[in-house]
Amino acid sequence: MAFSMAGRRALKAVLIDLSGTLHVEDMAVPGAQEALNRLRQASVAVKFVTNTTKESKRNLLERLQHLNFDLQENEIFTSLSAARSLLEQKQHRPLLLVEDSALEDFTGIDTSEPNAVVIGLAPDHFNYQTLNKAFRMIVDGAPLIAIHKARYYRRKDGLALGPGPFVTGLEYATDCRATVVGKPEKTFFAQALSDLGCSPSEAVMIGDDARDDVGGAQNAGMLGILVRTGKYREGDENKISPPPHLTCDSFPDAVEHILQNLL
Amino acid sequence: MRMRSGHFVMADEGWPGCAKSLKGVILDMCGVLYDSGEGDGVAIPGSIEAVRRLKESDLQLRFCTNETQATREKFVAKLQRLGFDISASEVFPPAPAAIAVLKDRSLRPHLLVHDGLLPEFDGVDKTNPNCVIIGDAAEYFSYQNLNEAFRVLIGLEKPVLFSLGQGKYYKETDGLKLDVGVYMKALEYACDLKAEVIGKPSPTFFQSVLNDMGLQSHEALMIGDDLLNDVGGAQHCGMKGVQVRTGKYRPSDERHPTVMADGTVDNLAQAVELILNQRRR
Repeated sequence: MAFSMAGRRALKAVLIDLSGTLHVEDMAVPGAQEALNRLRQASVAVKFVTNTTKESKRNLLERLQHLNFDLQENEIFTSLSAARSLLEQKQHRPLLLVEDSALEDFTGIDTSEPNAVVIGLAPDHFNYQTLNKAFRMIVDGAPLIAIHKARYYRRKDGLALGPGPFVTGLEYATDCRATVVGKPEKTFFAQALSDLGCSPSEAVMIGDDARDDVGGAQNAGMLGILVRTGKYREGDENKISPPPHLTCDSFPDAVEHILQNLL
Repeated sequence: MRMRSGHFVMADEGWPGCAKSLKGVILDMCGVLYDSGEGDGVAIPGSIEAVRRLKESDLQLRFCTNETQATREKFVAKLQRLGFDISASEVFPPAPAAIAVLKDRSLRPHLLVHDGLLPEFDGVDKTNPNCVIIGDAAEYFSYQNLNEAFRVLIGLEKPVLFSLGQGKYYKETDGLKLDVGVYMKALEYACDLKAEVIGKPSPTFFQSVLNDMGLQSHEALMIGDDLLNDVGGAQHCGMKGVQVRTGKYRPSDERHPTVMADGTVDNLAQAVELILNQRRR
């Protein structure tokens, strides 16, 4: 086993953020497709990670393939996947308070006689009756799993409450803490690596969000590379501690660094 | 011996002995007098008689509630239908206190409350709201209604949120239900602000009841089913607080990390029996 830096084993896996890192809206980051191909030749495992809770893996795959990225559905890992992974591990049967379009990613999970509550972005489910049902389950011992805790999001007709407020309310009602599975939680990164058979110290994360991508990954024991595309703003690298292992212009530069220094 | 305003008084005695020196009792209502549910709900066994015995004694009596699904008038009428000897002037719910605050601070509210409470706010200017009031809206806590309240707050330069109580849940005849506190926390999180609580356990609220009775806090005892908001809130003001094992009581309440009731009794009837026994000696 080669040691490329003190105490750190050679790289086995690369996690890559999607929106803002490989593409921005409907445009690929220049050179990103070729950079990905080069990375694949280097025999490291690759996974594409994102916090989306409304789009199924199939939707994401279609968009990326349309932009000429070479990837497979089973290489995509979303916060929904993190939730699914956790449910399978603990053998929970969930009450799924998630958007209909996200249910697809939970196919095959037994939802009869639920003994766990999973909350995503699901306005249709945030009504009094359903929340009462979730509340009573948690009081009876069901764990509360939150896909993420966003305060609000932007809809066409203005700002709208995200899942965060409802998760917080249920935590207050039950004196329980939710397990949050999306970035930047450690659980997310641990689950993303779990089927790759490598430890966090053998992995690196590339993303445009200093706190959620890089900060979260490094907190989980991985290396983090911050790219200056997408939502990146001048000075972001100074907002996390420790700072990113590397801050570079875009995804192709990150790949170059990995190929030259981390393998 | 401890000095209090020039008089010698016995060292602070615990429950039930403290009942000897009491001058007034404050009762919570839901979970102590009755359980809410279908229609008028159900009187808790022994409570009607217990209230009668208290009224016949030399103790002052008031009712303190965080009930916000109906106006005080309608709510008192319901209790009377259930058989309780009770009148509006003895009952202290949050809405009248909230209206006083609005007047005091020249605020115009956006209301997220139960339909049944709306008449209480008939005389209040609700145009161009500069604050939000939430009450126990129950099924009116739809995503849409919550979003509307959220949008009012997020659009204000100085957002002000009043919560009529901060309870976590209460018990109805068909099980536990989420209370206003849950939605208060939700909006606090969404807007990154702190709500002002009107009603139990706000000290101002308890003080207004004590003022009406003309009593100091150490002369009064609060009896309730909510360990944090009834008992804890009362103790915080200097009153004794006793919890009943009816209503939303749960066995874990007797092992709570921060609040320890001065006494725990099976129900209001038992509390009153113990109080009157102490005073007969």
